[in-house]
Amino acid sequence: MMIRFFAVVERDLLKFKRNPVVLAMSILMPVIYLVILGNSFQGKLTDLPVAVVNQDPGPYAKRILENLRAIQAGPRTFSLLGMSDQGEAVKGVKEGRYKAAIIIPPDFSKRVALSARPEVGLFLDNPDNISAETIRNLFGAAILSMRSEYVPIRENAGEAHLRDINLFPKVDYYQSLVPGVVIMAIFLGTLTTGVFNLVMDRFLGIEESYLLTPLTRAHIVSGLVASGLSITTGIASLILVVSMLITGIPLSRALGQILPLFLVIVLATLCLLSLMFVILGRAGHPRIVGVLSGFLNVILFFPSGAVYPIASFPGWLKAFAKINPEAYAVDALKAILFRNAGLAGVSGDIAFLAVFTAVTLTFSILAFKRTL
Amino acid sequence: MQGTRAIAVSEITRKFGPLTAVDRVSFDVGEGEFFGFLGPNGAGKTTLIRMLTTLLVPTGGNAVVSGWDVAREPAEVRKRIGVVPQAMTSDLDLTGYENMDLYGRFYGIHARDRKERIRSLLDMVGLAQRANDLVATYSGGMRRRLEIARVLVHRPALLFLDEPTIGLDPQSRHVVWDFLRKLIEGDSMTIFLTTHYMEEAETLCGRVAIIDAGKIIAMGSPAELKAGIPGKDIVSLAVGNASTELAEALGGLPFVHEVRPEDGVFRIFVDSGARNLPALIDAVRASGGAILSATVHEQSLEDVFIHYTGKSIREEEARKVSFFVGAGVPQKLG
Repeated sequence: MMIRFFAVVERDLLKFKRNPVVLAMSILMPVIYLVILGNSFQGKLTDLPVAVVNQDPGPYAKRILENLRAIQAGPRTFSLLGMSDQGEAVKGVKEGRYKAAIIIPPDFSKRVALSARPEVGLFLDNPDNISAETIRNLFGAAILSMRSEYVPIRENAGEAHLRDINLFPKVDYYQSLVPGVVIMAIFLGTLTTGVFNLVMDRFLGIEESYLLTPLTRAHIVSGLVASGLSITTGIASLILVVSMLITGIPLSRALGQILPLFLVIVLATLCLLSLMFVILGRAGHPRIVGVLSGFLNVILFFPSGAVYPIASFPGWLKAFAKINPEAYAVDALKAILFRNAGLAGVSGDIAFLAVFTAVTLTFSILAFKRTL
Repeated sequence: MQGTRAIAVSEITRKFGPLTAVDRVSFDVGEGEFFGFLGPNGAGKTTLIRMLTTLLVPTGGNAVVSGWDVAREPAEVRKRIGVVPQAMTSDLDLTGYENMDLYGRFYGIHARDRKERIRSLLDMVGLAQRANDLVATYSGGMRRRLEIARVLVHRPALLFLDEPTIGLDPQSRHVVWDFLRKLIEGDSMTIFLTTHYMEEAETLCGRVAIIDAGKIIAMGSPAELKAGIPGKDIVSLAVGNASTELAEALGGLPFVHEVRPEDGVFRIFVDSGARNLPALIDAVRASGGAILSATVHEQSLEDVFIHYTGKSIREEEARKVSFFVGAGVPQKLG
């Protein structure tokens, strides 16, 4: 009877409404996530401290130093510290004060002139992979251009040039994260609604009183999923709009595709809600939800293609992405937002999400324990 | 037993691994009866009530509640019963009214009926004024009353209460008792209650089963149970100049069964101690004795429990509570 189903839904929604902090956090967290993620992966490195010990008065050492200073003044990737004590410089790298130490030996220019294998010492703080790699590349370039007196303003006119042709409006890194952030909002929403409320009731010993009523397992599971769906899709849609505004994706793109967008959000939410039910349906302590949430987030989100393309994954991770509902949702959202794909363009993703939902939801209802 | 049977239990058993929480228990409860299970914590009361209310599947035997087998037709049983579990189960985030309204909807009761019934039930338990306050603001006694009212929304013919006054102060306990008495007077409702309070079983229940270690050890009305054990009320008289002659004189009275002199105190085993106390005092005075103090110990279900188990419920309590707290112990073991 529908009266029972709606009673389960309304109870859950009422309780959610009475906890506005949860609502505020569910909205705020994905937005913060967007900002943090957007700034923590693709930012340029600047002001890496590099110690320089030049023991060679000759011209080639001077040339190298000039090149390095040009980098310091231009992209500001590192700031140079001139030093005289070689041991002190290396020690500084070991202790983490400098990201690198460059040592130009006394006979460097002479060896260059004689072509007798000139060498420059580069001591790197190699555990910090990304900084070390950047410095190595830049320093390599500084040495290579040591022999040229000037930097050519125009490249060789005879060389072939590559011209980029963008098929779609340009998407910057920030914008490309929007689908991922929406999925993140959905993930957080499904984690704190739906089955979580069942786990909480069980933990508080309230579940008993509902099991004593004529509610069937279908009433309980589908009622909780429905209330979780309405809360989560609301939050996810809001997050979509907010993150589009923040990253400068024109809202008209969403308005033109409202039906497929909404369908993908609803189905992605249902997928995750039912998946959570399968995983947490019998959990009796909210701590289990807490422990699993971080884990689930990593294994669902990072292989979803939201941050880095699935094409870069090794075979086994690609195989996992094939059954990861978040990957399909991200794919569909990217297609709709950045390639203006319509319903037909994302029908494959939608079909997967629908089947995934049907299977997991059926399983959760059947696996729901109607006794203590 | 009156009329037809509301509950018929035969050899019901529940094991949790090596532990047998309820061990081949059989009993019947007639319609309109107020039936109680008395026993210490951990005796199996909650496990038993959970089996009768479909929350636990028995591992042996069977139970028919309101005409339906609890293991085979749990959905039919659930429609017909109201259950107040031992733990407080109302939603703190909802108001009293919302708690009751949602419950009514879980039973498929339509809006107009619900409104009317909830109002009158809240009135009956004295919560009408607080109906729109969050349950989080209620006291323990108010919350308990709300929970009793809540399971009456669908007008069950059979009400189960698991330790309904546990954790309540004496005043709230009496309010709940009065309310339960009113219920049984009104219509032909059957009430099944478990408790570890002697007084609760004695004042409320028409019939009591005493349970210990998963087994029924005695069953009957409180009066029957007390009459069934040897020994009677005990009147203890501290007499200034106690003598063997006095003891013999008292022993000769028609209502006295035995007199035990102990350090100047006579422990006199009698029928109906309170009523015969004046006659005893007269007899002592007539033989020139001076009474320093007098106490009457009337037999209670506690004595019945001691008689059958050799230990008191309170001792059992202290022993078991130190290991397990509250209801659902077997559930955790399972």
